[in-house]
Amino acid sequence: MDYNWDFASVFVYWNVLAMGLWATFKLFIICSTLGLGGGLFMGMLRYSKTRWISYPAMLYVEVFRNTPVLVQIIWFFFALPVVTGIEVSPMMAAVLGITLNTIAFSAEVFRGGIQSIEREQWEAGKAIGMSYAQSMRRVILPQALKRMLPPLTSRGIEVFKMSTLASVVAYPETLQQAKLIASYEYNPIEAYTIVALMFFIVLLPLVQLTYMLERRFGKSDA
Amino acid sequence: MYEWDFVATLADMDLLLLGLWNTIQVFFLALVFGVPLGLGLALGRMSRILVLSQLCSFIIEFFRTTPPLVQLFWFFFALPILISVQMTPFVASVLTFSIQSSAFFAEIFRGGINSIDKGQWEAAKAIGMTRKSSLTRIILPQAVKRMIPAFAERSIELLKTTTLISTVSYADLMFQANELASKSFRPLEVYTVVAIMYFFLILIFSQLTILLEYRLAKTGEGTLR
Repeated sequence: MDYNWDFASVFVYWNVLAMGLWATFKLFIICSTLGLGGGLFMGMLRYSKTRWISYPAMLYVEVFRNTPVLVQIIWFFFALPVVTGIEVSPMMAAVLGITLNTIAFSAEVFRGGIQSIEREQWEAGKAIGMSYAQSMRRVILPQALKRMLPPLTSRGIEVFKMSTLASVVAYPETLQQAKLIASYEYNPIEAYTIVALMFFIVLLPLVQLTYMLERRFGKSDA
Repeated sequence: MYEWDFVATLADMDLLLLGLWNTIQVFFLALVFGVPLGLGLALGRMSRILVLSQLCSFIIEFFRTTPPLVQLFWFFFALPILISVQMTPFVASVLTFSIQSSAFFAEIFRGGINSIDKGQWEAAKAIGMTRKSSLTRIILPQAVKRMIPAFAERSIELLKTTTLISTVSYADLMFQANELASKSFRPLEVYTVVAIMYFFLILIFSQLTILLEYRLAKTGEGTLR
C-alpha cells in the first residue's frame, strides 16, 4: 500500500472535469424534466379505463422497465440510425434512452400514487359537480403527489447516476472526461476516485432529502 | 425501407447464449455475496456501537450515491494498482456488483427489520432470548417475508446493471452483442434480439417472484392483499 497519491495531476484538468459535470447536469435536467413529465402522462394513460389506451401504455412501460438502459442507449445509437436514416448524436442517444426509461419507471410511480387515493375522493369530486379531469387535477393529484414525492426523488437520483452510461457512446460527461484524463496522465486511481467523490458530494444531500421526505410524507397524510 | 435480416444474428446465436450464461453467472454470484454482506451492513448500521454504525452508514450511502459504472472502473482500473494484484474483468465485476447491491440490500433489510412490531422483540426477551437469537428466530423470519417484493425489484435492477460489465470487456450478453454487431454489420438486428433476450430473462424472473408472493399471501404472511 505504498502508492504515492497524486491528486494534483487530476486537479490540473479541473476545467475538463467541470465541463463534464456541466454536461452531466445538462443530461440530468433534460432527462428528468422530460422523463417525469412524460411519466405523468404515461401514468394517466396506464390508469385509463379504456383498454386500447391502457394496454399500449402497459406494453410500453413493461418493455422499457424490463430491458437494461445500456441496451436502450446502444440501440438508439447504433440501431435507430439504420432504421430511420437519421444521424443520432451521442447526446441524443443518451437522452432518448434515459428519458424513455425514466418515463416508464415514473409512470408506475404516478399510477401507484393515483391508485392509492381512496375512491371516496373521486366520488366527492363528482358529487360537487367536477368532471374527471377536474377531480384529477384539483382533488386527486395534489394528494397523490405528496405520497409520490419520496419515490420520485429517488428516481431523480437514479437518473443522475444513469447519466454516466452516456460515456459508453462517448458523450463527454463527467466519467468520460475522467477516462480521458486517466488515459493522458496514467492516473486512473486519482481520476476515478475524484469522480466517485464528485457524485457522492452532489447526491448525498439529495439522498438525505429523500429520507426527510419519507419521514414526512411516507406514512401519514399530514 | 430497411430490409430486416435476422439470419446473420441467429446463425451466431451460440455467441449470444454464451454471453447470456456469463451474465447469469455474474448476477448469481453478486446475489450470493451481496445478500449476506447486505445483512451484515444492515445489522452494523443498526448496531448500538456508534463507530460501527457510522462506518456502515457511510459505506451504504457511498455505494448508493455513486454510479455503478464509476465503481466498476475504480475496481477494475484503480484497485489493482493500489494493492498490486492482477484484476480480471470477471473478478472486478463480481466484486463491484456484490458490494454495490449489498448497499441496497442493506437498506431493504433495515426497512424490513424496522417494520416488525417492537412487541415481537419484547416477547422474545420475555421468554429469555438473547438479542441475537430473537433476531434470527423471531424477527428475521417475519421480516424476510415482507422484504420479498423490494428484494425482487433490487435483484432485477442488479440484473440490468450487469450490462455495465461489457465496458471492461467481460464477455457478457451486452459485450457479445457489441462484438457480433461489428462483425456482422447488422447492429439493428443484433441489438433488437439482445433487447428481446433481456426482456424475457427479466420477465421470467419477475413472474417467478410474483408467484412466490402469491404463495406467501396464501399462508397469510405475504405482502399481497
